[in-house]
Amino acid sequence: MKTNKDKSELMELKHDPVPGYKGIFSVVFTVSLLYMAFILFQPCF
Amino acid sequence: MTNSILPALIFMIGGFMIPFFRGRAKSIYMMLIPVVGFINLINIPMGDHFLMNFSDFKLVLLHIDRLSLLFGYIYHIIALITVIYILNFKNDVEYVAGFFYAGAALGAVYAGDLFSFFIFWEMLTIGSVMLIWARKTKSAQASGLRYLLVHAFGGLVLLAGIVLHFTETGSLEMLKLTLSGPGSYLIFVGIGINCAWPVLHPWLTDAYPEATIGGTVFLSAFTTKTAVYALARLFPGTEALIWIGVAMAAFPIFYAVIENDLRRVLAYSLINQVGFMVVGIGIGTELSINGACAHAFNDILFKGLLFMSMGAVLYRTGKINATDLGGLYKSMPWTALFCCVGAASISAFPLFSGFVSKSMVMEAAASGSHLAGQKSYVVVWLVLLFASAGVFHHAGIKIPFFAFFGHDAGHRVKEAPLNMLIAMGIAAFLCIFIGTYPKPLYNLLPFAVDYHPYTISHVLSQTELLFFSALAFTLLLLSGIYPAEIRALNVDADWIYRKTGKALYRIFDAVLNPLNAWCERIVRGVAGSTADFFKDAGAKISLFVAVNIWLLAGYRDKHLEIKKQKLYNDILQGTLPAGIGAAVTITFILLIYVLI
Repeated sequence: MKTNKDKSELMELKHDPVPGYKGIFSVVFTVSLLYMAFILFQPCF
Repeated sequence: MTNSILPALIFMIGGFMIPFFRGRAKSIYMMLIPVVGFINLINIPMGDHFLMNFSDFKLVLLHIDRLSLLFGYIYHIIALITVIYILNFKNDVEYVAGFFYAGAALGAVYAGDLFSFFIFWEMLTIGSVMLIWARKTKSAQASGLRYLLVHAFGGLVLLAGIVLHFTETGSLEMLKLTLSGPGSYLIFVGIGINCAWPVLHPWLTDAYPEATIGGTVFLSAFTTKTAVYALARLFPGTEALIWIGVAMAAFPIFYAVIENDLRRVLAYSLINQVGFMVVGIGIGTELSINGACAHAFNDILFKGLLFMSMGAVLYRTGKINATDLGGLYKSMPWTALFCCVGAASISAFPLFSGFVSKSMVMEAAASGSHLAGQKSYVVVWLVLLFASAGVFHHAGIKIPFFAFFGHDAGHRVKEAPLNMLIAMGIAAFLCIFIGTYPKPLYNLLPFAVDYHPYTISHVLSQTELLFFSALAFTLLLLSGIYPAEIRALNVDADWIYRKTGKALYRIFDAVLNPLNAWCERIVRGVAGSTADFFKDAGAKISLFVAVNIWLLAGYRDKHLEIKKQKLYNDILQGTLPAGIGAAVTITFILLIYVLI
C-alpha cells in the first residue's frame, strides 16, 4: 500500500456550515439556556 | 525483612541488561521483566521492608500498604502493555529509558520516607527526559531541555521543602502533612509541578507530544500519577487541592478544542483527568480518595490506549495533526476500534472504565464532606460536570473523528503492527472489563467500598450528559461555528515564561552586555600595555643605561643610533657578549636594590 506523503498539507481544516443548521443551532442553544436557567433556579439550589 | 527484591531494582537493572539480548530473546526478556516484577510484588507482605541506615537517617525503601499496592499493580500492568507496544521499534535507548523510568516510579510509590521518595522522584525526571530525547528530533531535544529545567527546579523545591520539614519536625516519614510551615508548602508545590497544576503545567503539553511514540505512552502513565499518589499520601483533605483540581479539569478543555496536534490534545486531556483526581484527594473523604485512586488506575489504561492509537497513526502515516488526518478507519479499522474504546472510557460511557471511577469523585463532590460547605461543592460539582462534557467533546469525539473519520486525507496505509494491536487490545479489554465488572478494582482501593455505579439515575444522567455533548459537537460542526484546526503553535500559560524570558533577555542584553564589554576593554587595555612593556623590558632598561654612558663617551647621531639598534637586537635575540650581559644584569639588580 502506498501513502500519500507527497500530497500537499492543509494549513487549515475549515468546517464549512451546512445551510439551515445555524438556525437549528440558535434554537437549540436558546432552549438549552432556558432549561439550564430553570434547573439552576430550582428551590433545592 | 523479606526474601523478595526491591520492585524498582527489577525494572532498573533489568532495563540496563536489555542491550545484551538480541532478536526474539530480547522481546521475551523485555516482557518477562514486568511479569517477574509483578510476581515478586504479590509475594511481598504489607508493611516496611528494606530498611537502611544512612548517616543518622533510617530509610525505608519499601513501604507496602493498600494505596501503594494499587499504584504498583497498575504500573506493572501498563509497563507490560507498553513493552508489547514498542517491541517493533528496536530502539535500545527507548527500552532502557522506559524501564528506568517505570522503575523510578515504582521506587517513588513504595518509598517509606521522604528522602528515598525524593531520590526516586529525581530518577523519574532522568528517565522521562531520556524518553523525550530518544526521538532525536530538534524539537524533541529543545522540549526535553525545557522539561529538564522545569523538573530540576521542581526537584529543588521539593528537596528544600523536605529539608525544612525535617528541620521543623525531625521526621522524614511519608505521613499526612498539613499546610502549616514553609517546608510543607514547598513540598506541596514541588509535587504540584509534576502534577501539572495550572500555570505550572506547560512542560506537559510541550514535551509529551515530542517524545517517541512509545515514550509518550510511558510518560502518560507515570509522572503525573506518581504525583497524584504523593498528594494522596501526603495531602489528603487539603482544601486548596479542590480548587486546583477544578481549574485543572476546566481550563484544558478550551485549549484541547483548538489544538491541531492530536497527541497534544491528549496531553491537555491528561491534565483534565488529573484534575478530577486532585479534586477527589482535596475532598478527602474515603469515597473521594477511592474515586481519585480508581480514576488514576483507569486513566493510566484508557489514556495509554488513546496515546497508543495515536502513536500507531503516527507510526503508519508520519502525521499527527488533525489537518493531515482523516478517513483512516478504512486502512486501520482495529486501531480505530481500540481508539473508540479508549474514547468511550475517558468519556465515562456506561460499561466503560471511566464511568465506574469518575462518578465516585462526582458523587463525593455532590454529597459534600466535613471539610467544606455544601455550597462550594455544588460549584465544584457543576464545573466537573462541565469538564466531563468537555472531555467527551475533545477526547471522546475529536480524537477518533479527526483521525479516523471526518474528511478523508487520502492515507492508504497498513494496519498497525501486530504487537501494537495486541497491546491496544489488552488495554481495551481491561477498559471494558473494569467498566462492566468494577468489583476487582474496588477491592484494590485504599478504603472499603460501598458504592454502586450502575444506578438508574446515574446511568441516565451520564447518558444524558453524553448525548447533549454529542449534539453540541454535531451542531457546532454543521453550523460552521466549530473552530478550524490550524497548523500553528497554541500558547497558553507558557506565554508567561516566553514573554518573561524575552523580557529578561532584553534586560540582560541592555545592562550586562555593555558592562561586560566595558570590563573587557579595561582588562584588555591593562593587560595589553603590561604585556607590551614586558615584551622588551630588559632591552629598554639596558638601552636607557647604555645610551647615557655612550653620550658621556661622545657618541652622537648616526653612530649612536647604530649602537642602540645593535644592542637592542642583541638583547632580544640573546646574542649579547657574556661580559656585557653580566654587566647589564648586575646594573639591573643594583637598580632594583636601590629602588627597594
